[in-house]
Amino acid sequence: MTLDRKLEWDWFPGVVPENVVLDDTTHVETTYSFQLFRSAAPEAVRLGRGSSIYLGVMFDLGPVARVHVGDFTLMNGSRIICDSEITIGDYCLISWNTVLMDTYRVPISPAIRRTLLEQVASHSSRRVEPAEQARPIAIGNGVWIGFDSIVLPDVNIGDGAIVGARSVVTSDVPPYAIVAGNPARVIRQLDPESSRRAVAEAVQRFNVSTLLQ
Amino acid sequence: MNAPADLPIAGHWVHGPPPPNVSLGAGTIISGELSFKRFRATSKGALIIGANCTMDGVHFAIESQGRVTIGDYCYFTNALLLCELELRIGRYVMMGWNSSIADSDFHPIDPAERIADAIACSPLGSGRPRPAIAKRPVIIEDHVWIGPNATILKGVRIGEGAFIEPGSLVTRDVPPRARVLGNPAQIIGEVP
Repeated sequence: MTLDRKLEWDWFPGVVPENVVLDDTTHVETTYSFQLFRSAAPEAVRLGRGSSIYLGVMFDLGPVARVHVGDFTLMNGSRIICDSEITIGDYCLISWNTVLMDTYRVPISPAIRRTLLEQVASHSSRRVEPAEQARPIAIGNGVWIGFDSIVLPDVNIGDGAIVGARSVVTSDVPPYAIVAGNPARVIRQLDPESSRRAVAEAVQRFNVSTLLQ
Repeated sequence: MNAPADLPIAGHWVHGPPPPNVSLGAGTIISGELSFKRFRATSKGALIIGANCTMDGVHFAIESQGRVTIGDYCYFTNALLLCELELRIGRYVMMGWNSSIADSDFHPIDPAERIADAIACSPLGSGRPRPAIAKRPVIIEDHVWIGPNATILKGVRIGEGAFIEPGSLVTRDVPPRARVLGNPAQIIGEVP
């Protein structure tokens, strides 16, 4: 990132917003990802060391939203619709056309939505302001989310879980579970104890603390 | 209504005016470079959009005989409308990012017919007629909300005020004010 918060390789003529925290080990492919970003929160987006945010990721963040991404996490085309807080751990792999949403943004009641749509049409920005209580999402470490999957508001996904392609995750996923389907169900459960040990060994083997220095 | 500075409005299309058989109501905004990339409709009034709509990055993939009508105050974000016959969308309908509606199977179900179709569609198939393909109109009534990544298939009628959860695949009619989720979409509740 240059001093004026542009990306040297960027095809889009944008800047990285001031309240997006990253360092020179983070790769952001394009500032187009911040086109719908309008959070004024401090550290509204924090990208971990060695994380990469590829083309197609869209940070659609409301006025007070915060998204925190861990180290070595790779995102490649996620629509992040956030009005409260979405936390994503370390070593996560998040695939194409996934939707992570902590809010529906509009109420389920048609009458209120009608008033909202009339207000939206009278504003030049045409932005839908948050009109619904957002409920945070927490994704643990080492989670793999398959393409076209959706994580709905108030969902927690445990460490090491796998979400199969095209799943819709409507409720919490236990650590080291494999879920799939719409709505997503547990289709397999790995042993948390031995998985945790193997993960700790892998972190040791790759000398992660040295990589992060 | 004045045109917002950063978005093109009816008649001020980024790549020139919309096709002549498209009619847009006052205060309706269409943005996105690919909106009419797959627009092949030839009939008069093939796409009629009411007033005060926001059509952001919507693909109007309307085939030669297709007709799409959209009511007032609709708000679509990167939706895909695939139409060979008819899509009738009411007022105050919202469609989320990457959602889609199709009124056709696009190809026949019968395996032999599908071979005929593959040949007819190929670069060597010039002039060969395509086999008959199932098409049925899709009707979306007023105040329906369609979540991101949801898909609505042919012949479906979605009743007034229904709430289609993100990622749903809707293969059957949805009663008014029902809340549906899943593949295939099932009723999980009611809109209060």
